Amino acid sequence: MKKRLSKNLTLKRLLKIALLFVVLICTGIILYSGYLSFQIEKRFSARRWRIPSKVFSDVTLLYPGQQTNRDLFHEKLRRLGYREVSYKPDRKGEVRISRSVTEIFLHDLIVPSQKRMGFPVEIRFTENEIKSILRHDNGKSLPILELEPEEIMLFFGPDREQRQLVSIDQVPQHLMYAIMAAEDNCFYSHHGVDPMGICRAIYTNLRHGSIRQGGSTITQQLAKNYFLTPQKTLLRKIKELFMSLTIEVMYDKNEIFEIYLNEIYLGQKGSVSINGVGEASHFYFGKPVAKLSLNEAAIIAGLIKGPNHYSPYVDKNRCLNRRNMVMRAMNKNGWISGKELNAALGLPVKTAGFTVQYKKAPYFLDYLSEQLTTLYSHEDLSSLGLSIYTTLDTEVQIAAEKALAKGLARLEKWNPGLKRTEPDKKLQGAVIVMQPKTGCILAMAGGRNYSVSQFNRITQAKRQAGSTFKPFTFLSALDKFTPASILSNQPKSYMINGKIWQPKNYGPVPEEYLTMRNALAKSVNRAAVDLAMKVGLDHIVNTVNGFHFSTPIKPYPSLSLGSLEVIPLELARAYCAFAADGMQPYLLSLKEVVDENGKNLEQRHMTINRVISPAKAFIMTSLLQSVVTKGTARSLKKMGVFFPVAGKTGTTNNSRDAWFIGYTPDILALVWVGFDNGDSIHATGATAALPIWADLMNAIPQYISGDGFKMPPGVVKRTICSESGQLAVPHACPKPMEEVFPAENAPSRDCSLHQKTDPFKKFIKGVKKSYLKIINH
Amino acid sequence: MALTGCTGLIPIPTPQTQASKPSPPPQSKAPKVEIPDESMEKPSPSPRALASLQLTDQGRMLLNNDRPDDAIRMLERAVSLNPSNGQNYYYLAEAWLLKGNASQAKAFNHLADIYLAGKAQWMDKVMEQKERIRKHKKQ
Repeated sequence: MKKRLSKNLTLKRLLKIALLFVVLICTGIILYSGYLSFQIEKRFSARRWRIPSKVFSDVTLLYPGQQTNRDLFHEKLRRLGYREVSYKPDRKGEVRISRSVTEIFLHDLIVPSQKRMGFPVEIRFTENEIKSILRHDNGKSLPILELEPEEIMLFFGPDREQRQLVSIDQVPQHLMYAIMAAEDNCFYSHHGVDPMGICRAIYTNLRHGSIRQGGSTITQQLAKNYFLTPQKTLLRKIKELFMSLTIEVMYDKNEIFEIYLNEIYLGQKGSVSINGVGEASHFYFGKPVAKLSLNEAAIIAGLIKGPNHYSPYVDKNRCLNRRNMVMRAMNKNGWISGKELNAALGLPVKTAGFTVQYKKAPYFLDYLSEQLTTLYSHEDLSSLGLSIYTTLDTEVQIAAEKALAKGLARLEKWNPGLKRTEPDKKLQGAVIVMQPKTGCILAMAGGRNYSVSQFNRITQAKRQAGSTFKPFTFLSALDKFTPASILSNQPKSYMINGKIWQPKNYGPVPEEYLTMRNALAKSVNRAAVDLAMKVGLDHIVNTVNGFHFSTPIKPYPSLSLGSLEVIPLELARAYCAFAADGMQPYLLSLKEVVDENGKNLEQRHMTINRVISPAKAFIMTSLLQSVVTKGTARSLKKMGVFFPVAGKTGTTNNSRDAWFIGYTPDILALVWVGFDNGDSIHATGATAALPIWADLMNAIPQYISGDGFKMPPGVVKRTICSESGQLAVPHACPKPMEEVFPAENAPSRDCSLHQKTDPFKKFIKGVKKSYLKIINH
Repeated sequence: MALTGCTGLIPIPTPQTQASKPSPPPQSKAPKVEIPDESMEKPSPSPRALASLQLTDQGRMLLNNDRPDDAIRMLERAVSLNPSNGQNYYYLAEAWLLKGNASQAKAFNHLADIYLAGKAQWMDKVMEQKERIRKHKKQ
């Protein structure tokens, strides 16, 4: 009896302990589920994904009559993701290129305040000129066509994930069925875990003796990807189970599916991972997810199991087999008919093709990033999915990079002494291309090789300007002097800080005196110093200060020869004022920043500031045109440049720097060549920098209008005597020439050296003289 | 004084033909920005000038719809395409005036003055605009 009682007590105690244990476990589960739901809520209510911000180039304008570089144009189309086809393009993103016609089915154009759906166009060419642009769908000819901006950079976070978010409403039903068929055909009926699915997976795997089928539901996969580490441990599996059940309690099925569709990893593009069906449909098929066909949807669904194993870019046959397996599963589940299945099974695997995006225009992007980081943190840039629109023209950028590479290689070939074995010691160069009237930076090559040196020689270098600085001395003189004023080229000595300084010319200049125009055209140092001393150094410094140089400018006589150091970008900007009627533009590289919803966060406009009068700017341009027509840059014609150009060469002491800055009313480019350590390049601006400038301009005919510079009010043309600089007397002065003058400073007196003698007056005078003689007799 | 004479003709920048084809009237009901009638002016615009004028016209319409920022964006594009088109500068001055920035308006008015010189009806508008900018600055 005692024994039985004791047994009962033990049993009761055990039951109590078991009950307590169960209560404790249940409490633990409830607490853990509460903790999980808090974690899930916290994660899902915050921003779910990091979307890298995208940087875009400017839009490209095309119009009939425009000169183009067809090679660069077709390269651009490829970079924009257009696929070359052999038939007439019938889908967005297709292009057919023939000898005289380029047919394009345009992508949609979505830029701030502008949205245009894609349509088919036919661009006809005559040689390199656009003859016509015709809309295929309505037969109308277009006076202007805009091509979408090019994506040039993504601001990645540490995960380097690229995705385009989609809502479940955008996703076609056949894609959802395909994913369910491939991964979880009972998704809409289970509660996060599918016991039947697990049993089925165990059975299949045991039958085949290997892991053939996974039992994870879509919810479980989401929990694993979103919250858990990839390690395969029992503890992680238990966590996954709890988390899946909690997610199913908290969210409805469509919400879960939508998160999954945006989260899932679907492949690799270089070092960037492709996540979500939105990005994948663009990456594999070059189209938005809503446009995916049944067989394309099945390919994407098939990728989930092994994105790189089943990738159509890796193995098309393997991809096709997997796709067919998915479609058969869809048919088995009754989601597609046998007819649809058979039609789709016969289709080949067609992809959009892709090129791994390397950093384009790296120096420009560094310069841009500096500005962006003053507006946004790096965290924001790598996660908020901003769209950043810039002024960059990728065709000009490529032309600048190519011209620079070719020019430096040519110099090294011409003088092997310039070759260096160490990559970071090689001959360097830099190019910037701008629109002088707007201040837009079209291209920037801050060095020869970004991967070797990230030092931007356009924005960070301080180099002696050499003769490219002379125009500022000549500009300072325009209040008192004119292009016809005579300057001395005689050797002179100047006392500077107690030391004698004797400026020398770069090469022999036989003339003892020459006009201001000729002195600048031939870049005569002695004449420039003569002018500077006459004008006054302080006056020159004041003039130069108006051009917003950040480097210190001191009133030394050598200032007139460009002894001061300048930042190339600032020098280019200063020259813009000559090309732009005296208006100096603020530099523009960033145009607009737009958030994910299309809201404009930042907009920068062309801003100009008058620094000199339009009359002075025009006269300077006229002087600088002489540099090109008969001065140090006259070889430009031999290089195929026949349109009106104004510009200035520059070479510093011991040929450490070679410069050329040239411009038209439409475009300005600065080229610098030199060694970072200041070694001599044994070449001048005309031999080292000028050919690079010419190559660049010849490669971008779309920017060359051939227009001349417009003469503004306040400038007059006069025919003068080239010897006296006074108004030419017809038939008396031996060398009359046209010259431009500020209206208030134009010559008003006839030439004092050559007086015209009228034959009739001469006869009367003779008669009068004879008559007086007779009278006197 | 021994003088070294210049030989030959110097390269005087040649005045260029202005794109002068009048823009079509705006579509909106009450255009604030009027276009001078230049039907008497003959020179036929280059293809580039024509393309630029398309953008100018779009910019003007945006301006009429009180969208100065969008108008500026469009007109800047027109300037990029053809910096010699004086109408762009005129409308840019209008846009900046609408935004209340008289100094930018003045700068663009100066450029309009240069590039529309010789077009009598446009010049009347430019002068009238100059006066408005001056008054705006005084306020």
